[in-house]
Amino acid sequence: MAGEKAVKYNEQVIEEVVAQVIKEVMKQRGVEQTTQGKKEDYSDAKVATKGTDPKEVVIGVGPAFQTQIHRTINGLDLGQVLDEVKAGIEEEGMHPRVVKILKTSDVCFMGLEAAKLSGSGIGIGIQSKGTTVIHQKDLYPLSNLELFPQAPLMSLETYRKVGKNSAKYVKGERVTPITVENDPMTRPKYQVKAALMHIKETECLDEKIPYIEWNA
Amino acid sequence: MSLVAGVDIGNSTTEVCIGRIEGGDIRFLSSATHATTGIKGTVDNIPGIVSALEEAMGKVRLSTSDLEYIRLNESAPVIGDTAMETITETIITDSSMIGHNPSTPAGVGTAVGYTIHIENLSKMVADRPYILVVGKEYGYEKVAEVVNSLGGYIKIVGLILQADEAVLVWNRLDKKIPIVDEVLRIDKIPDEKMAAIEVAMSGQVIRQLSNPYGIATLLGLNAEETRLVTPIAKSLIGKKSAVVIKTLHGYIAENVLPAGELYLKGEDGKEYAVNVDAGAEKIMALSNVAGRLSDVQGQKNTNVGNMFDRMKDSMSRLTGETKESIHITDVLAIDTLAPVQIAGALAGETCMEKAVGIAAMVKTQQLPMRKIAEELQRQLNVDVAVAGVEAAMALLGACTTPGTRLPLAIIDMGGGSTDAAMMDDAGNMRMTHKAGAGELVTLLIQTELGLKDRNEAELLKKYPLAKVESLYHMRLESGEMQFFAESIDPRYYGCVVMLAPDRMIRVEEDIPMERIVEVRRDAKRKVFVKNVVRALQEVAENGDLKRIPNVVLVGGSAEDFEVPEMLTESLSQYRIVCGRGNIRATEGPRNAVATGLVMSGTSAKR
Repeated sequence: MAGEKAVKYNEQVIEEVVAQVIKEVMKQRGVEQTTQGKKEDYSDAKVATKGTDPKEVVIGVGPAFQTQIHRTINGLDLGQVLDEVKAGIEEEGMHPRVVKILKTSDVCFMGLEAAKLSGSGIGIGIQSKGTTVIHQKDLYPLSNLELFPQAPLMSLETYRKVGKNSAKYVKGERVTPITVENDPMTRPKYQVKAALMHIKETECLDEKIPYIEWNA
Repeated sequence: MSLVAGVDIGNSTTEVCIGRIEGGDIRFLSSATHATTGIKGTVDNIPGIVSALEEAMGKVRLSTSDLEYIRLNESAPVIGDTAMETITETIITDSSMIGHNPSTPAGVGTAVGYTIHIENLSKMVADRPYILVVGKEYGYEKVAEVVNSLGGYIKIVGLILQADEAVLVWNRLDKKIPIVDEVLRIDKIPDEKMAAIEVAMSGQVIRQLSNPYGIATLLGLNAEETRLVTPIAKSLIGKKSAVVIKTLHGYIAENVLPAGELYLKGEDGKEYAVNVDAGAEKIMALSNVAGRLSDVQGQKNTNVGNMFDRMKDSMSRLTGETKESIHITDVLAIDTLAPVQIAGALAGETCMEKAVGIAAMVKTQQLPMRKIAEELQRQLNVDVAVAGVEAAMALLGACTTPGTRLPLAIIDMGGGSTDAAMMDDAGNMRMTHKAGAGELVTLLIQTELGLKDRNEAELLKKYPLAKVESLYHMRLESGEMQFFAESIDPRYYGCVVMLAPDRMIRVEEDIPMERIVEVRRDAKRKVFVKNVVRALQEVAENGDLKRIPNVVLVGGSAEDFEVPEMLTESLSQYRIVCGRGNIRATEGPRNAVATGLVMSGTSAKR
């Protein structure tokens, strides 16, 4: 009896806390929404096509990337993130190309779409919150070459290394393992923020245009 | 009619063979193999023996109690050990060179200029070529901007970067120049010194700076100075990029380490001394002169002295005998090269240093087989006898290989020693044990490839390699392509992998497949081919190899995927028929001793 009561009590508290947090975030968002919350109109944008350059690595960014969301979950500027990944690819002698994926907000599917557009068959998927995957066009969506699931622990150096590794996959070279931090507290700490950012990204999906060239 | 089991306890596997003896005839019923439990020759072996026996009896639906008696091998009382010693070291003084293999240097060509750190830009003068040294705190865009803006008045002919950004900078330069990156210790590069920089074309290695006259041409050296830079040129061979800095005293020296002397004591009481620096060939030549050895010692308080001390220590621990009573009766020395980090290096350069690998072998007291026999008898309630010298039994078993006849020699290549035995038409037998076998090969592979993990070297010895070139195909070391319908696990992408029977194992180090194959084959050839010839010479009549018509390879190493072929090839010049044994036409090279034990059981019974 006592146990049941305690559970009920906990659930109630959690609901209240979540409601509070959402309310708080919505309030912040409310301010943002007036300036940049609107869904973009991409009807004039150039639809991305499959590349033919065998040295190409396509970076597929999320629907809200640099439009509705400008920083990753741990505050890295998305422009800088993109620059680092591109620099990593360039340093290895390969050619980066950026597209914006509008048909999905799932990082693995984004990575796979990018890979399919890439002349080399290697692509990178980056969600606006920072979660990143390196993919290859022939793999199953949920399989991948490398996944960096803990976005809050990513740094600009890590993004540079992601770019380097993706280029090494193109060259058929052995990749350098990227040391990723692992913090068991990340999940509870960022769960709500991650969920909200993901919802926001998903809201920006566009049913008509699957992907566009992105040169922000 | 009676059921007999032969049991052969080896270092790594325990093999049994079951035979039915009727009158003088033997019918082999079954055999089995189990991993040896515990160290060979201790009662810990019993669980392994029992499981192997049960498995073999189970195959013919019998139980161990149906056995009339069991015959155990009397193993050869030798154990071997190996050690490695580097005998040269390379030291760079005064930061006189950088020579490493950054994955992506940029700009092809050579240039000569004066070194200057980016912080001292203001000290630069016009009409003088400079090589700019940049720390990693400057990003690629900044560096490119600085160099481009100087372009008008000051000539920058080359760049040395700390960060891995050579291509990024190069792509942004108005005037393209050679760039070397990933140089860790740029703080050690002096300012205002004349230096030459070279970056090789992709897929090639540098030409100018690995040539003493090339350096002399670029830096304007006289004959004496050119002689001094020769070690620099030597250590830059095979690099993708390099910088040589002209400093007053800064050269690179190759020191010969005082490795110490080796004393070989012949059985005739004579003692022969040889310096380890002289190399393996001299040591082996002297060992030939000395003949059969009664002991080997190293000079006290030298590298080689300590090495033999350690060996004797570990052997005395294993056998329970005192260190003084351990006598080394055979040594095999092999020259090799080990990649060692150069002292004073700026970018973690390594240099191939000379090293000598030594295998030594020790005769010990009989291993306590008697004890195992008693304990096994108690547990199974079956008569157990220690019967027959291992080599003799292996010979008997090897005779069941189709296509053999007396006189016959067998080679048993194990982990610690290479053993040979030979039986002539009259049934006389000679045998010998030589130091150096599988473990020395492992050590050579580990040293030459600079592996940290001994276990990895062991695996590299055992399995052929392949390079995973895409998710759907890989290139085997034979050059063949193998394709897959399902994707290969992405973890193996771009890696060199070992092909174990049931899985792939990734090679953790970034070493080209061709290099590993070369090192592996070379190590096997150096140890096995050399030792087999040494051993056969000792058992052959008058040391004449041509008097041996047949050589049968038995034991674990005979299952190696390339050693038997190597031996077949190299022994064919003596007109010896040599090949992997096929015991009882069914067992392959395994089970020779166990089979021999059952066969000798008939004569014992009679």
